[in-house]
Amino acid sequence: MTRLSASVGLALLSIVGAALVPVATRALIGDDDYWLQVLIWVMFFAYLSAAWNLIGGFGGQYSIGHAGLLGIGAYTSSLLYVHAGVSPWLGMLAGGCLAAVVGGAIGYPCFRLRGAFFSLVTIAFAEMLRVGTELTDSLFGLPINGVRGFLLPVAGSRPADFQFVGKRGYYYVMLGLLVIILTVGWLVKRSRLGYYLAAIRDDEDAAAALGVHPARAKLLAMVLSSFFTAVGGTFYAQLIGFITPTRTMSLDFSVQMVVMPVLGGIGTVLGPLWGALVLVPIGEVTRALWGGSLQGVHLIIYGALLMLVILKWPQGIDPWLRGLVARRRETPVAAQPALADAPVVAARASPDGGEALLRVDGLSRSFGGAVGVRDLAFEVAPGEVVGIIGANGAGKTTVFNLITGALAADGGDVWFAGRRLGRETPDARSRLGIARTFQIVRPFIGLTALENVMVAALPRAASVAEARREAGRWLAFAGLAHRAGVIASGLSTGERKRLELARALATRPRLLLLDEVTGGVDQRSLPGLVRLMQGIRAEGLTLLVIEHNLRVVTALADRLVVLHLGEKIREGPPQAVVTDPAVVDVYVGATVARG
Amino acid sequence: MRGLAQAVTSGLLIGAVYGLIALGLNIVFGTMRVVNFAQGTLLMAGMFMTYWLWELGGVHPYISPLVTDISPLVTAPLLFGLGFAVQHLFVSPLLARERAREPMSVLLLTLGLALVLENVALLFFSADFKTVTTDVSMQTFKIAGLIVSVPRLVGLGAMVATSLVLYLFFMHTDLGRAVRATGQDREVARLMGINDFRIYGVAYGLSAAMMGIAAAVLVPFFYIHPGVGTSFLLKAFVIVVLGGLGSMPGAALGGLLVGVIEGAVALWVQAAVAQIVLFAVFVAILFVRPAGLLGVERR
Repeated sequence: MTRLSASVGLALLSIVGAALVPVATRALIGDDDYWLQVLIWVMFFAYLSAAWNLIGGFGGQYSIGHAGLLGIGAYTSSLLYVHAGVSPWLGMLAGGCLAAVVGGAIGYPCFRLRGAFFSLVTIAFAEMLRVGTELTDSLFGLPINGVRGFLLPVAGSRPADFQFVGKRGYYYVMLGLLVIILTVGWLVKRSRLGYYLAAIRDDEDAAAALGVHPARAKLLAMVLSSFFTAVGGTFYAQLIGFITPTRTMSLDFSVQMVVMPVLGGIGTVLGPLWGALVLVPIGEVTRALWGGSLQGVHLIIYGALLMLVILKWPQGIDPWLRGLVARRRETPVAAQPALADAPVVAARASPDGGEALLRVDGLSRSFGGAVGVRDLAFEVAPGEVVGIIGANGAGKTTVFNLITGALAADGGDVWFAGRRLGRETPDARSRLGIARTFQIVRPFIGLTALENVMVAALPRAASVAEARREAGRWLAFAGLAHRAGVIASGLSTGERKRLELARALATRPRLLLLDEVTGGVDQRSLPGLVRLMQGIRAEGLTLLVIEHNLRVVTALADRLVVLHLGEKIREGPPQAVVTDPAVVDVYVGATVARG
Repeated sequence: MRGLAQAVTSGLLIGAVYGLIALGLNIVFGTMRVVNFAQGTLLMAGMFMTYWLWELGGVHPYISPLVTDISPLVTAPLLFGLGFAVQHLFVSPLLARERAREPMSVLLLTLGLALVLENVALLFFSADFKTVTTDVSMQTFKIAGLIVSVPRLVGLGAMVATSLVLYLFFMHTDLGRAVRATGQDREVARLMGINDFRIYGVAYGLSAAMMGIAAAVLVPFFYIHPGVGTSFLLKAFVIVVLGGLGSMPGAALGGLLVGVIEGAVALWVQAAVAQIVLFAVFVAILFVRPAGLLGVERR
């Protein structure tokens, strides 16, 4: 808590300091507004970058069309003011809401698809909006003068109409907006949404497998980001008093909103501020030195810095600044709790009265011409541990992907807890109680071990604090409590496997699918992982286990299902199955069996 | 009706050039899942090369009694080399780092590169518009009462020819198959002994070389200035979203579609309406087929 109050104190001190700047400049250099103007630009771009950062930085969805949203804000409030006399303060909210709707509508179809597509759509949207506005002379009968733009009437000092004489009024408004957006960023980062976005940025499929609804989280972030960007647009219009589509919706604006957070530290709360503090003065200096004749010099510097940061310094300035202030802290976690402190993994009693928890019936899926799984049927009773074995390419992981909804089946049914699963997405199935681990582990590499597990606990937790507590317990259960504060990219393979188990358990599953937990793990880590799986089994959780290591799987499972080329060839008690000549034949190889 | 037919014809002809640029974007995206923001800059570089070849050496963009001295024969290899070098120096290190993820940081890297190159060009060549006025620049002919501009017809021809050559390359050569295989699954392609980074260099270089061809057909009827690439690139982005990200026929179709909407509606009604129609089509496709007209939905 002391660290938090120290941060808050520092932040308050900075705000007070910034608020005193206009008084100081007035005392020192009189009514020269130049320096105030430069500071306003720094804060303005920091504000816009922080608004972009909500979706671009936190969520990793790079919009390159935010200038379009800025333009919506500028035009909405200005048109309302000029033609209906509505105060730009109200117009600012109206523009923000309109942009939130438009941003959401543009984002919604994209968020069902992946990464680059969103960047393309946003840039195409901003471009069409700009060209369209340039060519439009009147909108619903209101003159907007196309490419020529229009002037806002100068009304003198009218704070109620967002008009001030001199720059000081605008300075304070911008300072207020900047404080608001940074606070919003700080709150989002620490909220449920913040953790979801960070997880989605690192691995969307893994996040969905934990019950996170990726499209919803991205949409919410985009709506917030759009709203605040448009609010910045109104400020811009009021400050300049003159708007044109070519300027307010320019690619330049969109690009600067990207460059600054990336330089400052993408996905961090204060990164946009650092980026603006560095880049805006560079722009001012080059303009002052070389003026209009060499108008692009600052953009050369921006572009070169962008390339340099991405190639050599992907975290940006922020971590380096933090390193100056304090050494990296590890998230404190309560002393390692005993296993008994872990939440009850599962109840052995069946909720559906003796019926199978999972029933797969006639399940089929092919890839092009190749068979993945054909006409597969088996059941898993509540509390039972079923192993799936078979050679590479037998279709084991495909079965998991079909059960979790990562792949759509060509035919057949999956029944879970008495309910037939149809079009449910992986995240919906996770919320129903199906959890999985991945054969090749997929931790969220930018988050700590504890935060990785928190993402899994959050969809069911009442609060972030509760999810943190619960995640700590699951980490302890998985034997990783001492590594809670380590960024996942720093964990060994064995530790990543444990992390993935803790993450899957934290979703409170009724059925857990384990895909080759011992695969790719060195001999030294193996016994610990096996003990961990036996611990999960001892808690009574229903398990479906893919496992290459026959000794491990025969000890763990009540029953084995053997797959060969996508079809079930045997099913039964482990000892009987693994000694069956047909199984030995396909599994170990014909020569061994006959020899 | 004559007016509309004329507008559609003009739209198809300019749309072909748009399609050529979108095709270049899609080759890079289809192979390495990278949106190349420097595509427009490469086009701009190609146009300046073509301009200087004409000004200083009298090299015609595409008409010569000797077939061997037209500008693409110089610019395409140069641009291929430039593209290969950019890929090798800047993109490869990132792709190696982000092996597991969709390489989104490459998008930002190419954005930085585009900023640098465009503004360096502005520094050296100034923002003045340059033109190449050749004997074909103003030539038109009439067919069935429709006026057809010769340089734009050359653009359509170039797109069709380039698409054909690319199709043959991708379908019937080992290198082309290797590029497609790498695009489908990089890891498996590596296991088959394909050097993925060399393939990426080839794809990037190829897409850059195509900008030499696009430059040659554009120069006789379009202004040359440092920002020209960006203006075409922005249009190409709209086309790629409409036609389908990574789809080569989609790029051609999207280019023609945008050209026709812009040309037809602009001539028939007015330019502002054309933009509104384009926007409406864009939004409709986004909601009905988010992957684009000919795109493959990847989930």
